[in-house]
Amino acid sequence: MTAAPPPVFRLENLRKTYGEGEAAVHALRGVNLTVEEGELLVLLGPSGSGKSTLLNILGGLDRPTAGHTYFRDLDLATAPDAEVTRYRRLNVGFVFQFYNLIASLTAAENVELVTEIAENPMPAREALALVGLAARTHHFPAQLSGGEQQRVAIARAIAKRPTVLLCDEPTGALDVATGVHVLKAIVTANERLRTTTLVITHNADIARIGDRVVRFADGTIRSVEKNPQRISPDELRW
Amino acid sequence: MRLSPLDRKLLRDLKRLRTQAVAVAGVLACGVALFVMATGMYDSLERARDAYYDSARMADLAVSVVRAPDPVAEELALLPGVNALEARVSGIGLLDLAGKSDPVSARLVSLPPDRRPRVNDVLLREGRWPNPARDNEVLINEAFAEANALAPGMQLRALIYGRYRVLEITGIASSPEFISAVAPGALLPEPERFGVIWMGREALGRAFDVDGAFNDVVLRLAPGANARDTIAAIDARLARYGGRGAYGRDRMLSAQFLADELASLRTMAAILPPIFMLVAVFLLNVSLSRLVATERSNIGLLKSFGYSNAAVAFHYGKFALAFGLLGAAVGVVTGRLIGNYMAILYAKVYRIPALQFDAELHIYVWAVVVALVAAVLGAAQAVRRATQLPPAAALAPPAPTSFGRLGATVERAARNLDGKTRMVVRRIARFPRRAATTVTGIALGLALLITSQHFPLSMNHIVDVTFGVAQRMDATLTFAETADDQILTEVARLPGVFSVEPMRAAEVIFTAGSRQRRDTLMGLPENAYLFRVLDQKMMPVAMRGDGVTLSYNLAQKLGVTVGDTVHMQATEGQRASADLLVIAVVKPYLAGAAYMELNALGRTLREPGRVNAAYVLFDSARREALDRRIKELPMISGVSFLDSASASMRKLLSQGSGFFSYMFIVFSCLMAGGVAFSAARVTFAEQERDLATLRVLGFGRREVSYVLLAEIGALLIIALPLGAVLGAALSRWLMTQFQTDLFTFPFITDSAAYGKSALFVVLAVVGAALAVRRGVDRLDMVGVLKSRD
Ligand SMILES: Nc1ncnc2c1ncn2[C@@H]1O[C@H](COP(=O)(O)OP(=O)(O)OP(=O)(O)O)[C@@H](O)[C@H]1O
Ligand SMILES: [Mg+2]
Repeated sequence: MTAAPPPVFRLENLRKTYGEGEAAVHALRGVNLTVEEGELLVLLGPSGSGKSTLLNILGGLDRPTAGHTYFRDLDLATAPDAEVTRYRRLNVGFVFQFYNLIASLTAAENVELVTEIAENPMPAREALALVGLAARTHHFPAQLSGGEQQRVAIARAIAKRPTVLLCDEPTGALDVATGVHVLKAIVTANERLRTTTLVITHNADIARIGDRVVRFADGTIRSVEKNPQRISPDELRW
Repeated sequence: MRLSPLDRKLLRDLKRLRTQAVAVAGVLACGVALFVMATGMYDSLERARDAYYDSARMADLAVSVVRAPDPVAEELALLPGVNALEARVSGIGLLDLAGKSDPVSARLVSLPPDRRPRVNDVLLREGRWPNPARDNEVLINEAFAEANALAPGMQLRALIYGRYRVLEITGIASSPEFISAVAPGALLPEPERFGVIWMGREALGRAFDVDGAFNDVVLRLAPGANARDTIAAIDARLARYGGRGAYGRDRMLSAQFLADELASLRTMAAILPPIFMLVAVFLLNVSLSRLVATERSNIGLLKSFGYSNAAVAFHYGKFALAFGLLGAAVGVVTGRLIGNYMAILYAKVYRIPALQFDAELHIYVWAVVVALVAAVLGAAQAVRRATQLPPAAALAPPAPTSFGRLGATVERAARNLDGKTRMVVRRIARFPRRAATTVTGIALGLALLITSQHFPLSMNHIVDVTFGVAQRMDATLTFAETADDQILTEVARLPGVFSVEPMRAAEVIFTAGSRQRRDTLMGLPENAYLFRVLDQKMMPVAMRGDGVTLSYNLAQKLGVTVGDTVHMQATEGQRASADLLVIAVVKPYLAGAAYMELNALGRTLREPGRVNAAYVLFDSARREALDRRIKELPMISGVSFLDSASASMRKLLSQGSGFFSYMFIVFSCLMAGGVAFSAARVTFAEQERDLATLRVLGFGRREVSYVLLAEIGALLIIALPLGAVLGAALSRWLMTQFQTDLFTFPFITDSAAYGKSALFVVLAVVGAALAVRRGVDRLDMVGVLKSRD
């Protein structure tokens, strides 16, 4: 038996409080979670339950009020700023509900923006091909549909071959068919690149594409379920 | 009171945008403050002067005469048009001040024994009036007393008409006649070396040997009187007593000097502040329209809720008015404060009593209205563009700004650029108008800076040229009266003197057609070496005898050009008259009059071989001996040393309109700074979302700052040459507007000034960009990603 590889994320009693005193909002009230290498994790939960807060902390965009967030050996809660920026640059790919592409750069250029500073990136074309956009590399965001824009964002996120891919409601602004396209891009990246992936969604159906489903409520993890079998986004109906 | 949600949004927006508000409103405030200050200051000065002239009964006309018996004065007083008249004794004396080796001269003016002067009243500032029974008690003028630390109770040794007297100072006084006391033959007041002494009529009459007679008349005209008729009547009456021709305020040195100062103040007040206002208004307009443009999606949203276009427009109208009002209010208050401060300074410089800053209401109204209109117009453009959008535009996911490829050549060049640089290039190329406004703003800031420096530069240039290139004597010796040229041999024998050049100056009346002008006709040797008349190309103008050379100012006033003929009538001596051909018109920097070759002038005046002054070079090691000797010579009524004349000119320039122009420099610095800051700030606001995205993608602060700084830097590089060209054009135009009787302002290109201005703008922009860059450190990555646009 070989030793299990160390987990990618290890969260210990993570807390996040916005504001102080009576106005304090406890977004996270003690979260403990371990995420293994190559896993596809789906986060479900009602609005305001703290999903985005958690993802932002995992991505090094925000810091917890208390507790620890280990990315391998690095504690994101206490690491210096420059260290966290480096972590983002080398290990994290982000996908957001609102794409956040740079309007003045073409699809390929948006991807290159990242490959330029990564250590072992794939060519921008390849990343775009991976999300099914090989034909649209030279279009500006304004010339792409919402789903296409989101896939560019995914290409941009995976082009650096990140250790983790963090997606916050990637299909939130899209219709079913387009959403499936986008999810397929995410799943492809997870399967082909073995990228540890966390996806936030409001859609319980989508949860079936993951290895595990983490249910959030009121700033804590209500339950963690293992899917007996991952299904392909193609089989989704919603 | 409950605010409507829209009004609460307004307040919160203003708070959020407060740094921008401060920069934009600050630039506007500068424009308004300068406008209020300059316009108000000029008005206040002019009003104070007129009030002073009125209350102290400043003369309208003056005439000097060789010697007229007292009863003639009563006849003159009865002439039509004469309201009040004072017949006086007046002359020049040399003073020997303790502790001062250089000779000092003074104009002595008689005081009536039993009353205040009817014309040109004397106001006692300190001490007491002289006792008419004591013939050595005198008043001296304020500026002279201050410059030489003289006080009541002190004594003066004076050489009057060849005899030494000891005078007792009983008081310090001032008079509208001598607001600035300018020595005869001098150009500028030099209170250290020229003063005014008032003493009893009888004592002064005896001193000048005009007992029972007068040699100087000042008078006020009746309201509505025709000055020319009155002058003619007086001249006719005084002709047999050696009258030298009556003249108006335009030839009274102090009044002329003050009028000139006011004229240049007025030009400055009339031209520069509106330019500043325009620039401020342009920036306000641009900044507001860009700010409102960032509110585009909110406008659509408001409309989708059912707000009417009018309601939306009104909301942003209030937003704009808040900026405009803030700027205008700060500007008005600052303008007043600076105005008050300047009034205190000017009251000291010009010695005009009751000088108070008081801008008229319409000045404030104008400033505020212009500011508000500009603000509202700026916002209106952006609001109109936004309200034209269907409200659905706000509900659908925002269409990213559409970017296209640039021209093939640019793209080829851009291929080798990294992504960040490509962002910068495309942003500038995609929004040429937006880039152009930033460039224009910075360029205007630089242009103002260059222009505002041009006035003092031009002034300095005039002083440098006048004292050193045009005038190269060490000293000018003015003779008590027109003297035989034998005197030059005596001058040459004075201790230390090694070079002497004669000068003849005659006060004449030029007539051309219906135009008449009293001025000085100067005679100089053909190839004068110590006193040269220079044209604008710095070439000496050769003195000729076959006609008269006129200064540009004088030629304009007479309406003549080269080839015309002017009639010349001398006012003293033989009173010769002649028709003279205008052979050249020259444009000297400083107070030109009319020139002829010395001997030809002597023949024309029918008084050959006579001189009024001598220019000398002397051995500076023997200055004290020269000083001592001059003080003993009754034939010399005044000495002016080039070094001190140039020093007092510089001093004068630094306090009068010079100070005014320094205010412009200060304000243009403030404005350039404000422009730089708002440019950096707006660029940041427009880039904020992209910058945050870059940070999320793992770019460090340095790399993200590069995108911001590169855009600002690129625009700055375009703006600098543009600003320099604009500044040069504006300065050139401005200098053509600044032409007074005394000065012709040259346009000069001083690379140091351009360099300094450009450096200042660069530093301001870089400083502002770095200050804004700190915003990169505080970028709210999470917040930006949650929102759409
Ligand atoms: N900047 C903030 N200041 C104060 N409270 C905040 C802030 N950001 C989030 N919160 C609060 O923290 C809680 C968790 O927010 P979070 O965005 O993580 O929820 P979420 O689970 O992602 O919800 P949704 O599904 O609607 O996106 C919420 O109650 C929210 O109001
Ligand atoms: Mg969320």
